[in-house]
Amino acid sequence: MSYTVLQDSGYDIVCLTGDIDLSCSPLARRTLLASLSRGHHTLVDLSGVSYIDSSGVASLVEGFQSARKHALRFGLIGVSAAAMSVLALARLDQVFPIHADLAARLTADG
Amino acid sequence: MSEGVPVVLRGAPDHTATFLAELSQEFASSLDISDTLKHAIDRFMVYLDAEAASIFLLENDGSALTCRECAGPVDIRGLRLAPAAGIVGQTVAHNVAKIVRDVSRDASFAATVDADTGFATRSILCVPLAVRGRCLGALELLNKRGGDGLFDTNDLQLATIVAAAAALAIHNAHMAGALVEQERVRKELELARHIQESLLPARAGSRHAVHGVNLPAREMSGDFYDFMPLADGRIYFALADVSGKGMNAALLMAKTTSLLRCLAKHAGGASALLRQVNNELCEKATLGMFVTLVAGYLDPRSGRIELANAGHQPALLRRADGSYMEFGAQAPPLGVLADLEFPAIEIALAGGVLYLYTDGISESVMGAAHELGVSGFKDLIEASHAVAADARLGALLGAWRAAGYDAHDDVTLLLVEIPPHQDNASPCLLALRFGAAPAALKRVRDQVQQSARLLGLPTTLVDDVVMAINEACMNVIEHAYQGDSAGEIELAIHNNENEIEVVLTDFAPPIDIEAIRARDLDELRPGGLGTHFMATLMDSCVYSHLVGSPGNVLRMTKRLPVATRRPGSVQIEINKDA
Repeated sequence: MSYTVLQDSGYDIVCLTGDIDLSCSPLARRTLLASLSRGHHTLVDLSGVSYIDSSGVASLVEGFQSARKHALRFGLIGVSAAAMSVLALARLDQVFPIHADLAARLTADG
Repeated sequence: MSEGVPVVLRGAPDHTATFLAELSQEFASSLDISDTLKHAIDRFMVYLDAEAASIFLLENDGSALTCRECAGPVDIRGLRLAPAAGIVGQTVAHNVAKIVRDVSRDASFAATVDADTGFATRSILCVPLAVRGRCLGALELLNKRGGDGLFDTNDLQLATIVAAAAALAIHNAHMAGALVEQERVRKELELARHIQESLLPARAGSRHAVHGVNLPAREMSGDFYDFMPLADGRIYFALADVSGKGMNAALLMAKTTSLLRCLAKHAGGASALLRQVNNELCEKATLGMFVTLVAGYLDPRSGRIELANAGHQPALLRRADGSYMEFGAQAPPLGVLADLEFPAIEIALAGGVLYLYTDGISESVMGAAHELGVSGFKDLIEASHAVAADARLGALLGAWRAAGYDAHDDVTLLLVEIPPHQDNASPCLLALRFGAAPAALKRVRDQVQQSARLLGLPTTLVDDVVMAINEACMNVIEHAYQGDSAGEIELAIHNNENEIEVVLTDFAPPIDIEAIRARDLDELRPGGLGTHFMATLMDSCVYSHLVGSPGNVLRMTKRLPVATRRPGSVQIEINKDA
């Protein structure tokens, strides 16, 4: 897995790429929580994710819970088919705010 | 009775002698006792000039006297009297003939019969039908027509002769009937024994891994053993003892072995198999009948046995070093209580031999007292250990007999041993051994993916299997080894006839299998998703402990869509040291 964080339109956009499994999910988790702990609204871009396992999903859940706790906006954008099927398996596709891209999210934010 | 009464025949002796000779001949040549008796009393009634005659016979259990044949105006066949009731009853009870000249003066006369039939009885002659002192019933004559209307001693003597011939004929007919019945039962038992023998598997050759033997204590056995190779390369085997003996036990045995055979093909594991068979048996349970059983699956490729024991004698593992381990029952017998769980254990044969036996051998005795016991059975195993597996049980029983042991019960034995130079013929998709570290997961996923794709399995199915394996490995790394990356994981994937079977083995301390549960998805928290993923992605996930050394085994299966079944026998083994 590799990751980048960029800031756009009031969001930290954490872009995760490659396989997110137990070997790198702790890093993904730390990265997400770092943005949120700085008080930034955070979107996770999963368009480059080829594989995500339950530990990767668990990192997203922690991000989501941390954002709620700090009253920050959180969501997923550009979710790849591979990632979406796993989110569906965990029934989290109905829990996380999911949008096609940043523009769609901003439209939804109003 | 009146055996001592001298027989002096009155009137025309030639006439009487002719009558008796004809009657005796009829009895002697009787093919149908009922016809012969009817004909005899018809003639006798006329001969003695009586108004009615009847033959009463005791029921087999002595519970009643029943009229079998009669002559005269009223048909009383089937009439049942209490054993000692009336003149007939008294005659039978005391085995003594009786003449009643005036029934109205005889206290033992049962007037109820007359009241029921409308017949007016005035006088009675009644003689017992006896053979060798045993009374079978009585011959009764009513109301002498001629003369003074009373029976006399000559009538009595004549009746005594007729009764003796009739009794002998009845007795012979009973004996012949019993013989025919015995022969019929013997033939049926023989047929049943043949059917039962056919339920046992044919003797296996030296290349087979499972061998069994059954010595029934009677015609029918309550024990059985069975084994059969499955399409996925595993071998199902079972040995059982049905409670009770004889026909009941044999029928339950037939039912149980059929259920097992049918369900073993699709049950997946020993635990599920026993659960299903138990529920089926409990659904139509016969009160007080149950089955103790050891059943398992041998994977000849890995030498591993998955075994479950329902109330049976412990399975004995003779390890390669000559030491023994016993695997006792972890659940009650089958057929006692529905919805029970039957925990399975995983045994690594590792060059050892697994022996299953019924108590017919362990409880066999020499002389009056010395019981063989489990230790004696082990001695027999040791004595026959050098014999090839397919001849070993025969040799063992030979030594057992030679030592003077005798069984009161059926003796059934079964052994499981990997034959030498076993060909690895079953398609193994992948065999990997790798360090229990997160960094290994990507390589494992890639290799599973590659090898599965080579067989042309559908992408979605491969993705599911890859994900389930990844989650299972994670659980081992995080929970079984608790992050200790020095630990190792063994992964084997078998391409069975209609399913993909994944066997994941670790060598960590035994996990608490009961505690493994998929979490409730409505509860939003980061952990605990893996087990849910595995349970959802795969068709079955069964955990067990390794036996003999620490470790855990997870066996997962995923059914193949019909179109992609039997993808061929491609055999690949990729980089064992991944």
